[in-house]
Amino acid sequence: MIQWLAFLLFSLLAVISALGVVILPNPVYVILSLLSSLIAIAGIFFVAGAELVGAIQLLIYAVAVTVFYVFVLTAVPWEKALKKDSHYRVEGALSFPLLLLMYFEILVVFSLGVSASPKGQIRELSKKFGNTEVIGSILFSKYFLVFELVSLVLLIGMIGAVIIGRKEAQTYDSDTP
Amino acid sequence: MTVIPLKAYIILSVIIFGLGLFGMIVRRNLVTVLMSMELALNAVNIALIGADAHLGLADGQIFALFIIALAAVEAAVGLGIIVAIFRLRRVESTDEIMDMRG
Repeated sequence: MIQWLAFLLFSLLAVISALGVVILPNPVYVILSLLSSLIAIAGIFFVAGAELVGAIQLLIYAVAVTVFYVFVLTAVPWEKALKKDSHYRVEGALSFPLLLLMYFEILVVFSLGVSASPKGQIRELSKKFGNTEVIGSILFSKYFLVFELVSLVLLIGMIGAVIIGRKEAQTYDSDTP
Repeated sequence: MTVIPLKAYIILSVIIFGLGLFGMIVRRNLVTVLMSMELALNAVNIALIGADAHLGLADGQIFALFIIALAAVEAAVGLGIIVAIFRLRRVESTDEIMDMRG
């Protein structure tokens, strides 16, 4: 019961904040709304019993990535975005029925019935050792190669971000139409 | 752990994913387009974690960890590209990027 209450609270907060991310015109408000949505999603992870992922969501997303967005928003002048229209109205009006169609399709799929049988291979182990230990043991045995590949991708992304973001000698203002 | 059914997680995931997709389409500013993309990635994470809690496995949480790491890389590279575009062209809106020369 208390789990249902927490789940409904967090999901309501997440959906309202996601609406704010889509609707609000000011980019600073959009960042705050995204932060609220990420914290609510971390709460949903805690409700689902995934403590490690929830903590990492709070640490990496809600702290690091959001602060990074704020930094970039100070580099790009967001006041200019307020003078213009912040949304594509015509494209939004055209693609909104497709969004409703996607939701309707999910409703149809659920009414047809989707089921997944709980195998529960890890459940006893998870009760015995706790969630984080189980994740660590599986991550470093079954998915060890993938873990190394992710570290390689992080390294390549870091090098790429440094190379892309370095200061160029000249700008190309003159030949833009 | 299995009080909340799988359907609740997946419905929430689909709602937030749709909102993120819609935001990617209708937003004009480049930074807000990337923020809508983060929202869609988080919706996928909700589906993975919910399936994990339902099935009693731990693989979905590991996939969610990988998605979080790759989303951090994507934010770094994407925001670097946005800052580079702004520095070179003085534009920060998706309809002002006229050409890819340079």
